[in-house]
Amino acid sequence: MNTMFFIMTVASLILMTVVSPDSAFSIMINGASGAISLALKLCAIYAIWLSVLDIMQKIGLNRALDRLFSPVTKRLFKGEDEKTRQYITLNFSANLLGMGSAATPLGIKAMEGMQDGSDKATDNMILFMVINATSIQLLPATIIGLRSQYGSASASDIILPSLIATLVSTVCGVLLAKVFALPSKGKKKESASLPQPLKGATFK
Amino acid sequence: MKYVLPVFIIAVLIAGYVKKVGVYDSFVEGSRQSVKLVLEIFPYICAVLIAVELFSLSGLNAYFSRFLAPVFNLLGVPTELCELVVIRPLSGNGSIAILENIYKTYGADSYIARCGSVIVGASETVFYIATVYFSTTKVRKLRYAIPISLFSCYLGAVFACLLCRFI
Repeated sequence: MNTMFFIMTVASLILMTVVSPDSAFSIMINGASGAISLALKLCAIYAIWLSVLDIMQKIGLNRALDRLFSPVTKRLFKGEDEKTRQYITLNFSANLLGMGSAATPLGIKAMEGMQDGSDKATDNMILFMVINATSIQLLPATIIGLRSQYGSASASDIILPSLIATLVSTVCGVLLAKVFALPSKGKKKESASLPQPLKGATFK
Repeated sequence: MKYVLPVFIIAVLIAGYVKKVGVYDSFVEGSRQSVKLVLEIFPYICAVLIAVELFSLSGLNAYFSRFLAPVFNLLGVPTELCELVVIRPLSGNGSIAILENIYKTYGADSYIARCGSVIVGASETVFYIATVYFSTTKVRKLRYAIPISLFSCYLGAVFACLLCRFI
């Protein structure tokens, strides 16, 4: 991430200094103030979803959802506890329905549950991120709305190709993540005879 | 579809009230958590957005897209969409803006516009997810997460362009 950030900013800034040096700084401020307005908007959305989530948790809806989806989530995310699985299920549900901003706080909670205390992402965390990053949205509602706004005669004819494309990317992502996870799995088996630190101890 | 969200929230509220959950307390608690969460993820969003803004407004984005165009062309992605494909994993707002431009230039029902719609609709802002999702954990090394995500998204984009020719 550091290298990537460095290359992007330095290359852009060099180009700016050559082309239009006086607007370089104002663009950076633009980016930062964009972040501030985004953060305020996110704060509003998260406030509502985290509140609804709190009620859902207290009435046992999360547990019911987990029971429904645990055959899938247990197989995909081996070794995660029930609470983490609940967040994973809720995150996927929100994503499927196209509520990306509601999915984010759930995803963050799921990530917190999956960390093992080291500074390296675990295989499950990566798999989880890859599934989120390749999109599992069923209905691209925003894009369809935008298309009809620009006078499309059949704005919803992108649903099928979107669904297929998103399926291809997600399946490819999951398979690749599982393949890349193989070597570290082998390592884990070798060290299984050694006493391992309690995983639960690092949970927040 | 438009009834799903309000009905869902009403159902949760009623179920909570019936089960004697402090509904008001839950909203206070949720809002408090929200402020904490946003404070924690803000530095990451800010740093990423500064870089993305620089990248797209300095014009480097356009150069980079032109540089990559032959590769994408070879895979069946039209030149007109290269800029969109490059900016998609970096910025959600940026890709919507480019998509709107495509609608204006080529018409919302053209092949280019349909391809672009599918590319945006079937992918996510990979770098944003990578920074925000890991922001509250100790994880700083994402190992193979970003390469796999990007590769899969690009495979989806290539597939999208192929599909739009037939569907």
